[in-house]
Amino acid sequence: MTALLELDRVSKTYELERRLVPRLLGLRKPLAAVQDVSLQVERGAVLGLVGESGCGKSTLAQIIMRLEPATSGTVRFDGTAITALEGRALQPFRRRLQMVFQDSTASLNPRKTVRRVLGESLELAGITATGRATATAELLEQVGLDRSFVSRYPHQLSGGQRQRVAIARALAMRPELLVADEPVSSLDVSLQAQILRLLIELRRKLGLTMIFISHDLALVHHLCSDVAVMQAGRIVEYGAPAEVLRRPQHDYTRKLLAAVPRGPEAAA
Amino acid sequence: MKALWRRPEALLGLVLVLSAVLTALLAPWIAPYDPLAVDLARKLMSPSAEHWMGTDQTGRDIFSRIVWGARPSLTVGILAVTIGALGGIAIGLTAGYARGLWEQISMRAMDGLAAIPMLIWAIAVVGIVGVGPVTIGSWSLPNESKVILLVGLLYIPPLARVTYGGALAESRADYVSARRMQGAGRMAIMFGDVLPNCLSPVIVQATLLVAVGIVVEASLSFVGLGVEPPNPSWGGMLSDARKYIFSGEWWTYVFPGLAISLSVIGFNLLGDALREILDPRRAAGISVVA
Amino acid sequence: MPLLEIDNLHIGYPTDNGTVELVRGLSLAIEAGDAVGLVGESGSGKSQTALAILRLLRPPVRILKGSVRFDGQDLAKADERAMRNLRGSTISMVFQDALSGLNPAFTVGTQLMDVIAAHRRVGRAEARTIAIEALSMVGIREPEQRLRQYPHQFSGGMRQRVLIAMAIACRPRLLIADEPTTALDVTVQAQIVALLKELRERLGLALLFITHNLDLMSQVCDRAIVLYGGMLMEEAPVTALFGSPRQPYTRALLACVPRLSDPPGQITSIDGSPPVAGRLGPGCPFVPRCPLRVEQCDARPPEHASVSRRVACWRAEA
Repeated sequence: MTALLELDRVSKTYELERRLVPRLLGLRKPLAAVQDVSLQVERGAVLGLVGESGCGKSTLAQIIMRLEPATSGTVRFDGTAITALEGRALQPFRRRLQMVFQDSTASLNPRKTVRRVLGESLELAGITATGRATATAELLEQVGLDRSFVSRYPHQLSGGQRQRVAIARALAMRPELLVADEPVSSLDVSLQAQILRLLIELRRKLGLTMIFISHDLALVHHLCSDVAVMQAGRIVEYGAPAEVLRRPQHDYTRKLLAAVPRGPEAAA
Repeated sequence: MKALWRRPEALLGLVLVLSAVLTALLAPWIAPYDPLAVDLARKLMSPSAEHWMGTDQTGRDIFSRIVWGARPSLTVGILAVTIGALGGIAIGLTAGYARGLWEQISMRAMDGLAAIPMLIWAIAVVGIVGVGPVTIGSWSLPNESKVILLVGLLYIPPLARVTYGGALAESRADYVSARRMQGAGRMAIMFGDVLPNCLSPVIVQATLLVAVGIVVEASLSFVGLGVEPPNPSWGGMLSDARKYIFSGEWWTYVFPGLAISLSVIGFNLLGDALREILDPRRAAGISVVA
Repeated sequence: MPLLEIDNLHIGYPTDNGTVELVRGLSLAIEAGDAVGLVGESGSGKSQTALAILRLLRPPVRILKGSVRFDGQDLAKADERAMRNLRGSTISMVFQDALSGLNPAFTVGTQLMDVIAAHRRVGRAEARTIAIEALSMVGIREPEQRLRQYPHQFSGGMRQRVLIAMAIACRPRLLIADEPTTALDVTVQAQIVALLKELRERLGLALLFITHNLDLMSQVCDRAIVLYGGMLMEEAPVTALFGSPRQPYTRALLACVPRLSDPPGQITSIDGSPPVAGRLGPGCPFVPRCPLRVEQCDARPPEHASVSRRVACWRAEA
């Protein structure tokens, strides 16, 4: 059974030198955001991608979603290489991978109502205008929001509600893979838990495969079936959370674990 | 709208602008006299019950001429801004969203165009092309249309820059990425998502540019390159009144001057008020973070 | 006499439909040398409380009622000049966003020495010495070189250290840290918290640590005050709070925190949404989400105070 998502030696280098003359002379300042990353995500798995800021996890997410081109390497979705696909050829795949962004305020157009945001999603997913109202209501119900929310604007919603709308937007396309980039980092603790439980439930009900990006090891411990630790663009450790988080092999993983604040008993 | 109510300056601006616009639109019904009717027997009469603003050096009713003069001033201001907006928004939006070579070329072109001084440009071109109606086939457009085109052209850079700034920022937003991720087309994203979120500063800039347009039209008419006499225009009236500044017939220049000033002030006040109202922080409804 | 004593503090701002209160009758006391954590989620009013102490509330938000006594003097009624003397020298604050806390156009040294010069009558040379000392106290190596650098040349964690240096340069007696680590990576967070702990011991200052991260707070604070909807929910020594929370909100909040030590997959949450200021009734703000609520809870709960704890709940045993 082929893995749903396969990354084969993916790299992404940014060119920092923008001035014309040095570039002509061959003087470059490359920044390797992602270096030689290979991994596989089986159907139904939840892969946790952890690392600190600048480790490249968000860049990797963007590459998987084809929002950024990879400098080298291949991304295979359900067996087909999607790295080289563009425009029309990429279209059928776009629907199958969706993303939930970190900052719900930035990921929703401030001038669009919930109805419009979900409506656009549904339209691109092929739902005709007649079916859209019902589909919208169903989506809202799926994410635990009341139907009356359709007429609201993002600024009229709380952070948790916005994130639910963002999740609904992603689900409208009936994706097979959901990439969640730090989806709860900007939320209060009590809301984090709500959204996480929603994600767990959705995964169960809809059979979603997920990639969960986070800097919070405890979250990864609770949600994920596999963990990949990233540092400076590379995956330095990979395995089941029980292994990686209890018996870390790599120095960096150990460092991360040591930094996690524990309750007062540990501080004494 | 409610926000406008709270600010007296905004209200004043709105009133002035509306007055100017309505005067221009309803000129045929507001003006008591024919603005071109010469009556030398009644020349240079001071304001009275018959002639509210007096008469000019050829006996024409100044009030009527002021009312009709609103047309060229506002037409030039508004149409020039429209041209500038259409061109500027298209260029700025595409440059900010698509980036790359087009961004570089268009923005540098805008910089170049912006370096041309407005008044000198208008005077030079009209001076070279000559004053007179523009004939296109069977259509004959008055001289002001040249001014509209020239000013409109030079309005493209500032409006393009403002749109570009906004487009650049908004194109990076996650909601745009989300749309791309869904497979939405470029046009849909640019005009449906990015543009509405960069319009506010453009609207403000456009309002202020109308005021500038009014002054440019008045300046050109003043030197005889704008509205062709005897058609009424505020700048032209000021020019006619030059001889009478020191001889006491104050109504010949005070009223046209006031007309220009008040319209310009009106658009400026409105522009400032719009800037405050359309402040994105306000639109987002965030006032206090606990 | 406590160093800082807040009594029945009400903070809010006027709107067309009446006054919206962000903090509703908060009282607390901090003794010299204490390390107190002020814990709450958004809408709890914790940041506003901190700003109120230093009278940095942004109009139209203001102190509506109550007193904020520092060393006996009511800061709520003090004039601006007296406040300016206090800010940065006797009471200091470290803000969350280190990037906007520092002016990108000036060197770190200039900004640091500005603070020093504003409060201590010293010459330029001595100010520089103090600045270097402050930088090394916060763990910045090669402080002489660093003084000449600009904020963008520092990493996020280093910038936060610089802000802390600016805050302690004049040896304050109270340091208020408002979410000083929220935007930072886990490893850096741990370092900053350790730094605060060390500075507190070394300089004997009192610390008010504001955060939503309970575990982090417990690393450095002895006591914790839990706020919700602008009101105090519980106050207790940290070990007691974690070990036996008495207030339903505190219990629910502690249960929500995902821990590596818990069995995987178990995530508890609190139903409902966070409180919205201005839409709260007179009763306990946690009522809509509280599993123990009764009719009585629609009236403001009393604070049961014992030797070291306070619990605001109708259902808590005193």
